[in-house]
Amino acid sequence: MGFGTYVTARVMWAAVVSLIIVTITFLLLAAAPNPEIQRAATQAALQGGDPAEAAERARELRGLDEPIHVRYMDYLQSIYTLDWGWADSRSQPVTTALAEGLYYTAQYSVPWTILTILLGPLVGVYSAANMYSWKDHLATGFAFFGYAIPNFFFGIILLLMFGVWLEVIPVVYDTSVPVFSLANAIQLSIPVFVLVTGSIGAVMRVSRNESAEFQHADFMKTAKAKGVSPLRAYAYHVMRPTLVPLSTTLVGQLLALFLGSSLLVEVVFGIPGLGRVTYNALIAQDTNLVLGSTLAFTFVAVVGNLIEDLVFTVLDPRISYDDR
Amino acid sequence: MTDDASPLLAVEGLTTAFDTDEGELVAVDGIDFTVEAGETVCLVGESGSGKTVATESITRLIGSPPGRIEGSVRYRGRDLLEMPEPELRTIRGYDIAHVFQNPQEAMNHCYTVGWQIVEALQIHEDVPDAEARGRAIDLLDRVGIANPSARFEEYPHQLSGGQKQRAMIAMALVGDPDLLIADEPTTALDVTVQAQILSLLDELQSEFDMGVLFVTHDLGVVAQIADRIVVMYAGKVMERGDVLDIFERPAHPYTRRLLECIPEVGGSRKGGIPGTLPDPHDPPAGCRFAPRCSHAVEACRTGGQPAEHAVNPGQHASCVHYRSDMDRSVLRDGSREEQPAAGGVSPEDE
Repeated sequence: MGFGTYVTARVMWAAVVSLIIVTITFLLLAAAPNPEIQRAATQAALQGGDPAEAAERARELRGLDEPIHVRYMDYLQSIYTLDWGWADSRSQPVTTALAEGLYYTAQYSVPWTILTILLGPLVGVYSAANMYSWKDHLATGFAFFGYAIPNFFFGIILLLMFGVWLEVIPVVYDTSVPVFSLANAIQLSIPVFVLVTGSIGAVMRVSRNESAEFQHADFMKTAKAKGVSPLRAYAYHVMRPTLVPLSTTLVGQLLALFLGSSLLVEVVFGIPGLGRVTYNALIAQDTNLVLGSTLAFTFVAVVGNLIEDLVFTVLDPRISYDDR
Repeated sequence: MTDDASPLLAVEGLTTAFDTDEGELVAVDGIDFTVEAGETVCLVGESGSGKTVATESITRLIGSPPGRIEGSVRYRGRDLLEMPEPELRTIRGYDIAHVFQNPQEAMNHCYTVGWQIVEALQIHEDVPDAEARGRAIDLLDRVGIANPSARFEEYPHQLSGGQKQRAMIAMALVGDPDLLIADEPTTALDVTVQAQILSLLDELQSEFDMGVLFVTHDLGVVAQIADRIVVMYAGKVMERGDVLDIFERPAHPYTRRLLECIPEVGGSRKGGIPGTLPDPHDPPAGCRFAPRCSHAVEACRTGGQPAEHAVNPGQHASCVHYRSDMDRSVLRDGSREEQPAAGGVSPEDE
C-alpha cells in the first residue's frame, strides 16, 4: 500500500469514528427524557388541558413521533450539514454561538499552540545538548513548574500581579479591541503564557529525553566524521529523529490542554471563548448548544489524532503502511 | 605547510584519557605510529585495547571534554590536535574519512542514503543538488551497489548490512580522501560479505591512492590487507613491523599468543590467552602484558612499559627480553619456533 492509499484509508477511518460518535450522541439523546415535552405537559395540566395530549402534540411538533431510523437519518443530515439547531440560552443558532466562541478561543489558542510546538522541541534539544548543566536544570525546573502548577491557579496569580497590582493588563478581557492590535496582544499575553507553561513542560521533557538518546547515536559520530558542524548535526541529525516520538505525545498533550484548561483559563480571564460558551450552556441546560460544543470538541480531537497519525508516518520512513 | 618528507599521518605520543567516577581512565597511553600514502597499516589488538579510541582521537571525533587528548597527530605536517575545530572540520570527511564498525547504526534512519552522501559532499564542496546527486550515484555505483539511482532514494533500513557498509564507504569517498580510517568495518557483517568489502577496500585503495588505517582484532583480515602492523595492548604499542615479519617471526610474547588464537584449518586451535586485560584505572607498573605473560621476569614488572627494541629492520617489540643485556633465548618455548633475525641484526642497532 502506498502512502496515498494509506492517507485515504486513514481519513476514511476518521470519518467512520466521527459517525460512531454522532450515533452515540443520537442514541443518548433519544433515550433521555426531553425537558421541553415535559414542560408542555406541565403547562397543559396547569391550564386544565390534557397533559398526555399536549405531550403528544409537542412530540409531533418536533418530529419525535417518527420511527427512530427516520429520526436518525434526519439527525445525521442536520449534523453533517451544520444545521445544529437553536441555542435557546443565547437566542441564536448553535453554529453561530460556537463560531463566536471559536473567534475568541482561536485568538489565544493559535499563539500558544505555535509557541509550544516551536519552543518545546528547541528548548528540549538544547537541554539535552547541555545535559546536567545549569541551563538544563533551569529548563527542567521550568518544565516541572509549568507541568505541576494548575493553569487556573497560575492564571489567577498572574492576573493579580499584572492586572490588579501592576495594572498592565485589563482584569476582564476587553472584547472591543481589534484582533490584531497591541492592546489585544497585551491582554492575551498572560493567558497565552499560562497555557504555554502548562503545555511546554511535557514537550520539553519528551524532546530532551528522546534527543539525549540520539545525540550519542552512532550516526552522530558519522555526521561528525563527515565534517558536519555541531549546530547542523543537532538541527538535522538529532531534531529530526526526535520529532518522531514527539509527534505521538504532542497532539495528545495539546488536545488535553485545549479541551480542559481552555475553559478554566477563559473563566479566569473572562474570555468569551468556546469553553465559556460550553460552560454557560451547561448551566442554562441548553441541550442543543451543549451537544453542539461537545461535537465541536470531539471533531477537533478526531482531526487532531488524524493529523498525528499522518505526521508520524511522514516523519518516520521505517513505518510500513502495509499492516494497517 | 605541506612537507613532502613528512609521512601522510604521523602520530606521536598520543594519549587519550577520560575522566570517570573511578578516576582517570587512560585508554590510549602515549602511542606512536605512521601511515604513508598508499599503504595499509593495521592496528591490531583484542577488544578494549584502545584501538578505536586511538583512531577516533586522530580527527578528534572524541569530544574533549569528556576526553583529554595529548601528543601530536600530524597530517601532512599539520598538527590536527592543535588545529581549531572549524579548520579540522574541513579535513574530516574530505581528506581524512572514516568508516565505522556497525553500518546498521551508522546512518541516520530518517534520511535517504542519497541525502546522507550528498550531505557529506555539500559540506565540503559548493556543488548544485543535481550535480551532487550525480556524483553520489556514481560513487554508489563505484562501491558495487546495484541499481544505484534507485538505492539513492532508499532509506537505510531498506538496504542489507553489506549494502549499507558499501554506502558508508561511498560516503567516505566523496572527497577523494588521502587517508581512510576503517574501524572494524567488516566485524558486523557475515563472512562472505566481509570478503567482498575487504577486496573492495583493497581496490579502492589503489584506485584512490589512499593511506588506510585499518583497525581490527581479526588477524585473518590483517594477513589479507596489511602492509604494516601495529599491535596494541591495554593502550600501549607492543610490537610493530611489516606484515610478513610479524606473521613469520612475531617477537613480542603478546603477538605470539595473539597469532596462536587464529583457528587453523581442521579446527585445531592452540587456545586463547589466559587472564583478562588489566584494569585501565590501575595498569600494571611494568609491561602491561606482564601479568598474563608466561615469560615475565622481575624486570617486566617495574619501570613502565619497556622501550621498543629493534628485533629486525623495521620490526620493533616493546619487551625487555630484546634489551641488549637480556637473553632472548628464554622466549623460545616451542609453541612457535623463533627464527634468528635475517642478517643478524643486533637488538640495539637502530
